[in-house]
Amino acid sequence: MMKLGNLIIAGIITGSIYATFAVCVAVWYRVSNILNLAVGDFAMVGALGVDNLYRVKGLPLPVAIITTLAVVAVFAYLYDLVVLRIAQDRRQMEGIVVTFFFTFALSFFIDGVAKMLFGTDVHAAPGLWNGNSLTLGSLHFERAGILVLACAVIIGGAFWVYIRYTLGGKALEASGENVVGARIVGIDTRRYRLWIFIGTAVIAAIFGIVESPITGFTYLSGATISLTGFIAAAYGGFRKPGRALLAGLFIGVLEALLGGYVSAEYGDTVLYAILATLILAWPRGLGFESAVSG
Amino acid sequence: MSEPAQTALTVTGLSVAYGNVIAVHDATFSVAEGDACAITGPNGNGKSSILMGVTGMVHRRGTVEIFGAPARNGDVRWAARHGLTLVPERRQLYPNLTTTDNILLGCYGWTRNIRRARSSASFGRAIDLFPELKPHLKQAAGTLSGGQQQMVAIARGLAANPKILAVDEPCLGLAEAVAKRVYDALAQIHDEGTTLIVVEEAPRRALTLCNRRVEVRNGMAGPS
Repeated sequence: MMKLGNLIIAGIITGSIYATFAVCVAVWYRVSNILNLAVGDFAMVGALGVDNLYRVKGLPLPVAIITTLAVVAVFAYLYDLVVLRIAQDRRQMEGIVVTFFFTFALSFFIDGVAKMLFGTDVHAAPGLWNGNSLTLGSLHFERAGILVLACAVIIGGAFWVYIRYTLGGKALEASGENVVGARIVGIDTRRYRLWIFIGTAVIAAIFGIVESPITGFTYLSGATISLTGFIAAAYGGFRKPGRALLAGLFIGVLEALLGGYVSAEYGDTVLYAILATLILAWPRGLGFESAVSG
Repeated sequence: MSEPAQTALTVTGLSVAYGNVIAVHDATFSVAEGDACAITGPNGNGKSSILMGVTGMVHRRGTVEIFGAPARNGDVRWAARHGLTLVPERRQLYPNLTTTDNILLGCYGWTRNIRRARSSASFGRAIDLFPELKPHLKQAAGTLSGGQQQMVAIARGLAANPKILAVDEPCLGLAEAVAKRVYDALAQIHDEGTTLIVVEEAPRRALTLCNRRVEVRNGMAGPS
């Protein structure tokens, strides 16, 4: 029982990361119709950027964190201004495959720059809450894990409140539901796309900073996070952040249980086999058909 | 002696094209404040494109003035802020949002504050316009009937607190009884002082409400 409890706790913590990234993918897809495959790379930049500025350049930790987040925000702003505006607004490119490659290319670009700046070794941002794990009976809670969970709850809760209780949140939803209908009432859908892109990039970077002491990051770590967030978002049909969040938690817990009870080495392989089987067996129920057909 | 009505909308030399296809060519007309103006003509002759160009939903050539102020080309928000609101063809609702949220978003053009929007006279007026929608206020708009969706679209337009309400094909695909109900609501909006522009394929129906008519033929528009 103790092992099961600890595995579920570990799974929920990992799942909350996947859930957050899935929500980031789903929310931005709603307003832009573009799948952001670079979201995990922003997490990597957050983790390795803070590590580099703090450990190598010797900046104080708060300055390193603020500088990294500012760089991520400015980069996301410029990317939207230069690439996405040309791709989507001027040339009116449409279709999931065409727009897919704009963030795919961004992911490769960020990885390449990160390799030059941070090297190929495993690094992590310094822990923000150091000390031994906390225990409750026979259950163990890593402090970094608690921070990850707290960030997920705070960001998820803030987003939920924004959507449910503000006109801006409803305008965001309307932008995803019907772009023409949104423009008619005066909603600037381009501005929403920009702010959500910047917001999700910064959220991803924060998660990278908070989570990296648990797993460590290399310049290639972003791709794995993006992939899992992408799959979780796909289970919500890409357009339903609530379902994407549940799918992210489910994948995290399943991954932990498979790693603990089936095979630590082949847990991920079994996990993706199960996820693929679920999609094949029940595509409509999982919203995957609508995700692919648009 | 009553003062002459102010000109609400002046359209001069309006042209709208989609790529190489010219939908509207050199349309010129004006609508006085308090008018109910019908834009009529056969399908595919550019009636809706006139509204799209006037409201800024698509880019245009020519000039549009709303209460004397030159309208910015392609800027729907500017038009909405200056009192011109479009109720589009095929409604363009947000299907997974509730009826209330759809109507509430009509207020977005003049406020970002949800409490201010909910307590506003224009939102209250929009909600009260169609009492038959009240049992469906918490229902997703996409699950409503076609007639109810048209009512939501008109109510959303009214929540914007327009001085000019431009309604595109309000009865498209509706049963006659529902179409009459929609026209009754438009008449009520007009009676309460809002200038109306109604795009309608059937001139007979439009003229039960409108005191002016602009006829569109092959993308050319002029007073009938």
